[in-house]
Amino acid sequence: MGAARWRKRIKVGCLILGLLSLLTGCWDRLEIEERAVILGISIDKAEPEEMKEEKEVSHLKGKYPTPKKGSMRITVQIAVPGRIPLGPGETGGGGKGGGQKSVWVLDVVGHTIDDAVMNLQQQISAQLFFGHLRVIVVSQEVAKDGLQDINDYFRRSPEVRRLTWMMISKGKAGELMKATPELERVPTLYLISTMDQAVRMGKFPNDFVGQFWSNSSKKGQEPYLPFVDIEKKGNMSISGMAFFKGEKMVGVTKPLEIGIYMEMLGMNPGGYQAFVEVPGTSGLVVYNVTHRKSNIDVQIKNGKPHITIKNHLEGDLREKSNGQFTLNGKSIQGIENQMEMATEKGFKDLFEKTQKKGSDIFGFGEIVRAKHARYWNKQIKTNKNWQKMFKEITLESSSIIEVRRVGMKAN
Amino acid sequence: MEYPRQITVIQATAVLVSTIIGVGILPLPLFAVRGADTGAPLLTFAAILFASLGLWLITKLGIRFPNQTIIEYSEDIIGKYLAWIGSVFIIGFFALVTSLAAREFGEVVVTSILKKTPLEVTVLVMLLLAVYSSRNDITTFAYIHHLYLPIIVFPGLLIVIFSLKNTEVLNLLPIWGNEHSGMLTGYFTVSALFQGFFVLTMVIPAMRSPEKAMKSSFWGMFIAGGLYFLIVIAAVGAFGSQEIKLLLWPTLELAKTTSLPANILERLDAAFLVVWVIAVFTTLLSTYYLTVHSMSKLFRLRDHKLFSWFVLPFVFVMAMLPENVLQMYEIIEIVGRNGLYITIAYPCILLVVAIIRKKGGKRNGGSKMAQKD
Repeated sequence: MGAARWRKRIKVGCLILGLLSLLTGCWDRLEIEERAVILGISIDKAEPEEMKEEKEVSHLKGKYPTPKKGSMRITVQIAVPGRIPLGPGETGGGGKGGGQKSVWVLDVVGHTIDDAVMNLQQQISAQLFFGHLRVIVVSQEVAKDGLQDINDYFRRSPEVRRLTWMMISKGKAGELMKATPELERVPTLYLISTMDQAVRMGKFPNDFVGQFWSNSSKKGQEPYLPFVDIEKKGNMSISGMAFFKGEKMVGVTKPLEIGIYMEMLGMNPGGYQAFVEVPGTSGLVVYNVTHRKSNIDVQIKNGKPHITIKNHLEGDLREKSNGQFTLNGKSIQGIENQMEMATEKGFKDLFEKTQKKGSDIFGFGEIVRAKHARYWNKQIKTNKNWQKMFKEITLESSSIIEVRRVGMKAN
Repeated sequence: MEYPRQITVIQATAVLVSTIIGVGILPLPLFAVRGADTGAPLLTFAAILFASLGLWLITKLGIRFPNQTIIEYSEDIIGKYLAWIGSVFIIGFFALVTSLAAREFGEVVVTSILKKTPLEVTVLVMLLLAVYSSRNDITTFAYIHHLYLPIIVFPGLLIVIFSLKNTEVLNLLPIWGNEHSGMLTGYFTVSALFQGFFVLTMVIPAMRSPEKAMKSSFWGMFIAGGLYFLIVIAAVGAFGSQEIKLLLWPTLELAKTTSLPANILERLDAAFLVVWVIAVFTTLLSTYYLTVHSMSKLFRLRDHKLFSWFVLPFVFVMAMLPENVLQMYEIIEIVGRNGLYITIAYPCILLVVAIIRKKGGKRNGGSKMAQKD
């Protein structure tokens, strides 16, 4: 009898002990206040004098190995808990009037990204968290030296999402982190909405960092990134497309050439405008592309790939300037013809511009690899060889341009 | 009769599907791309066919000997001593598979979600769950799989379908792939991811109508293989083969990149990991159950519960042996490829010998069934 009672007691005891374990929380519990949520990060080159402020966190000078080249200054935007507005109705204590900022901007130097991040971690209490990172801005100087180390760090980090945007800044990248645009209370969110809207309006291809990485890995394509510049009021303008050869930035296009690029590849929606001369008059009209379609064909001619682009654009007229002429079916025909010639020239110019640098941002090489596999396997095989071959390929394009509407004005 | 014959065809299918879909789903596109570049989907398809061959063999054997597991009928076919060697290999292999799967699970969790939780804890908790669940009889075992099947398959399919919209066709061409070095290795590595099908040898003797086992094999491989095939297409199509070579767990990256329409969920990796944990659990349960169950058959025990705790320390220690994540994957690939001798070649030999020696078959099995029913 006694034994049975004891057995029962032990059983109950074990049950209670087991239940105790349910009271504990998650092992990795980390309160939001203890987390430094990084929203944006920028990477600049640091001068040797600036490097003197570096603390010896991840290495000791002269004792542990340090990278031979490279020294950078990173600037981060850390969200301040409780001040990030959560919805449109919420005042959140943020905004300009309160004088309280929703983000805390810090900068630090280091030899590599992780070195700099560790230096930063050494000086702030909360644990850095990259899970909400939305924007990575890299300055032109750094991009020209190559992005491989930066890409490595962000690819390796399990927190960073591939839908983050990476962009190249014309001047100091840190300025973009410090800027405080008026439209959004969180500056990084403004940068990201600039890019999101640009994609939606057809001003830039959907080139988030995952896409950039995929493109840079492809053997027959070179990657590109938005090239941005800071304006007077702390806003950001997309002032072109930075194109790369391998991991190194080799050039930048004009903004309109982004439109031409998207036209060549038939990316929708259409979002660029261009002036067109009206034949026989001194007038100009502004043509707005709404829909792009493109058919790219690759043939091997004389042992070299030959690209044929058949392009179809639809759009409408937005503005008439210096207009001593009337728009009618016939003059629109003329405008279309004029546009077709201009487009072909635009294609040729952009193509030659990238060709000079050996940077196939169009991915023609991928088409060769995919559709002419035998030729590719025999002649090209590697990314290096394609970069060379790209300089020698030929392009032929024809476009059909339609003007569909002219707005609310009758002529 | 040891077990009431209760498992239906659908349940057997469920066991197969949720056993095959497991931890290997994460590195699958990487293995496939290493083998054949853009030919990865084709390679996966070929691997599915190869695994189907193995499954067909053990189903054939199972139908020939509807009352016995492979441990028992191998003794009838090739004699006690030879069969003993084979059975020991089977048991050892599946114990190893269990431990490696648990370790792989732990590595993913520690790397990507719970960075501070010790690896040992994650692995042990998962193994304890499997051990505890393996103490049930085979009918309950089938019910567990049946219960989890929709939770694994439908969200899995949903994620794949939503990520298919990021596919670029050029990334999937040429379908033969550009480079073919390492093709054979990759082929066997991917085939090895399907080895969970072996669990069917243990399920058939408990099936209500073993002669219908071929039906569940077909559907089991069709659903699990189809999902794997789609995942490879989605991953290669979205990232391109060269980028996948840089990613340790392409499927997880795929879930990270995929968002539900209308910003319902910006990234699907959390949802995916939940599904994946369940999938890993069912796989661990199956391989562990197979190990323990086979041991009890080998030693002629009526009940396998005795071994269920006994095997745990060995499995746990084996799980802790790999030094790092890269070495672990090297071991997983080697073990997986060599496991094909056990899961495909061995049943093949058994079936051939059984046909030559006229062992088993309808006459024999039928009379036995009649007696027992």
